[in-house]
Amino acid sequence: MGTIEIGRRALLGTTAALIAARAQAQAATRLRLYWWGGVERAERTNKTAELYTKTHPSIAVAGETVGWGDYWTRLATQAAGRNMPDVVQMDYGYIFEYARRGGLLALDSYVGKELDLSGFDAASIDGGKVDGKIYGVSLGLNSTSIVYDRESFDALGLAPLAWPVTWEDFATRMAAATKALKKDGVWGSTDAGGSGPALEVWLRGRGKEMYTAEGKFGASAADMADWFAYWAEMRAIGACVPPEVQALDKLDVDTSVLTLGKALVGFANSNQLVGYQAVNKKKLDLAMYPATKGNPKSGQYLKPSQMLSIAATTRNKEEAVKLMSFFIADTEAGKLLGVERGIPASKKVREVIAPSLDAMATRMSSYIAEIAPVVSPLPPPPPKGAGEVLTLLLRTNETVGFKKATPAAAGSQFLKDATDIISRG
Amino acid sequence: MAGRPTARRRGIPAGYIFLLPWFLGFFGLTLGPALASLALSFTNYDLIGTPGWVGLANYVRILTADSKVAESVRVTLLYVALSVPFKLGFALAIAMILNRGIAGLPLYRALFYLPSLLGASVAIATLWRTVFSGDGLLNKVLLQFGIHGPSWVSDPDTAIYTLVALSVWQFGSPMIIFLAGLRQLPRDIYEAASLDGATPWYQFWRITTPLLTPVIFFNLVVQTIDAFKAFTPAFIISGGTGGPINATLFYTLYLYQEAFGYLRMGYAAALAWLLVIAIAGVTALAFLSARRWVHYEA
Repeated sequence: MGTIEIGRRALLGTTAALIAARAQAQAATRLRLYWWGGVERAERTNKTAELYTKTHPSIAVAGETVGWGDYWTRLATQAAGRNMPDVVQMDYGYIFEYARRGGLLALDSYVGKELDLSGFDAASIDGGKVDGKIYGVSLGLNSTSIVYDRESFDALGLAPLAWPVTWEDFATRMAAATKALKKDGVWGSTDAGGSGPALEVWLRGRGKEMYTAEGKFGASAADMADWFAYWAEMRAIGACVPPEVQALDKLDVDTSVLTLGKALVGFANSNQLVGYQAVNKKKLDLAMYPATKGNPKSGQYLKPSQMLSIAATTRNKEEAVKLMSFFIADTEAGKLLGVERGIPASKKVREVIAPSLDAMATRMSSYIAEIAPVVSPLPPPPPKGAGEVLTLLLRTNETVGFKKATPAAAGSQFLKDATDIISRG
Repeated sequence: MAGRPTARRRGIPAGYIFLLPWFLGFFGLTLGPALASLALSFTNYDLIGTPGWVGLANYVRILTADSKVAESVRVTLLYVALSVPFKLGFALAIAMILNRGIAGLPLYRALFYLPSLLGASVAIATLWRTVFSGDGLLNKVLLQFGIHGPSWVSDPDTAIYTLVALSVWQFGSPMIIFLAGLRQLPRDIYEAASLDGATPWYQFWRITTPLLTPVIFFNLVVQTIDAFKAFTPAFIISGGTGGPINATLFYTLYLYQEAFGYLRMGYAAALAWLLVIAIAGVTALAFLSARRWVHYEA
């Protein structure tokens, strides 16, 4: 019968393809590369991997990618099954956990041989160190950043947010922005009272750390009460969105109140400008987080937006390190990757790609250059449980926002809960 | 083939071979992992490191020291207590209407069943989030009547009720079962009752309800277990946080957060086993109470 004929032929074809694929896989050293990100990143990453296999015919690279939301679950599951991909994209918030539990390969002995870190500044290298050893290599430099609707700011006659705008100034200006808008359902700022990075910058402006070098929560109950009170005041004067609007913001590009057109100002990361601009009609710009009165420095810091790490379980250590080195230090790879993951840490790569950058990418580069003189050093690493503290912060800010607790009560409750979470690990 | 004894005997090993996929699935994918999770619930397993034995520590913490457990149990019980009766009531009411022999019954039946098919899906939860948000469909309709509605899904005082409404809307499967039950009720009893002058309301309470108790009981048990296990709607509507302020933090959602958010697999396994025990307990209670109110013989 005709249908069976077709089915059989298709089956034969598939089998042949499978055999061919297996033959190829057997001939080559197969490396698995795993990253999070969107379509744009997947395209750039796959092209870069293809370029590498062209010049290294004995290597086959199998790319795997998922969104940030599922990334860590899947990586942890693979790690549990001793089946971690050889080269993985890594985040500053997770590298300590993976490195200290023996999940990652220490890279120090490869530097200068398989791993080319020439032209990397100290900040970029230090960002990938855990307990003095290198476990991750920067794929791009970024910092926290306000992303705001510059076009509306200009149209409304509001002054752009040029450093330094103190937290007090910021409140006044955002309230003025809401008034100037004269529109129902649109406010000046996002409610960033539940944002970990915003809190961290605010605390560091006060001379505190979110986490001390000993891995304890670094702020007092009074600090936290002040923080919650600041945002309560922001809501009271109409400077930021009300709690029921903020509650729908999942802290990502697509659901942020900035993208939804409910606020002009969002708290984000500098490398996300490209992502935000893609889904916002108005022209966006970057600005530093607000400054602390009397402190000439910002609590912000430059950090690797993401890194590459090697699984401790990889069977091809040298080859995996070579592939990693290609991604971070090769100029041809740099041209393909662009600044989509942040500004490349390698000076050589930066110089080669500079002429080809578009307006958004140029703005990201100039932002990083602008803030360099006023940023602070990298903070101590976050302890285990830091991720859960972020959820706690979000929830506690909501508690104050919906008037279920006063800022003072929320401050002491938060400190108690955060301490409990961290001690539990 | 089945008629001849030899063939039948030969068929026995074949039968087991046909059952093999199910056995493999049951032992490999259900029973095995379930027992493994029981063992893990006594450890501090975190997916990456090797599990270390902690004895009853997980259970002790859950039962005595974890305030989020108390919160999530409260949210879950509220959800079960509201969604199950409303859903069953609604399903029965629609089934009674459909049972009156209206034209186009198969069409209506299919239409009413549709939400149940879509119900557990991510798309519907996302739709729900949009309908009940501040400038969502519901508030736009309310505005026509001059009512300014709140942002239902993101207000901690109302968020749980949007989830209850979502559950009630998926009344299709109990409705179909009720409808089948109603179809089997003997007509002559109603005729006799009508002749004796019983009002429809009286007939409903004195004839329909008692005769239908086995079906009600079945639906009650199934829906209660389902409600305890509800996860997807809360996960999607709150973006996985159980927010605002833990107002939609179902027990299952908290379990998920502990397991996949914070990698406390041992602790989450203990949470899961307590849920199993709780559901078994509630079901056992339902069966005990059934002796008092379920009538199996007309």
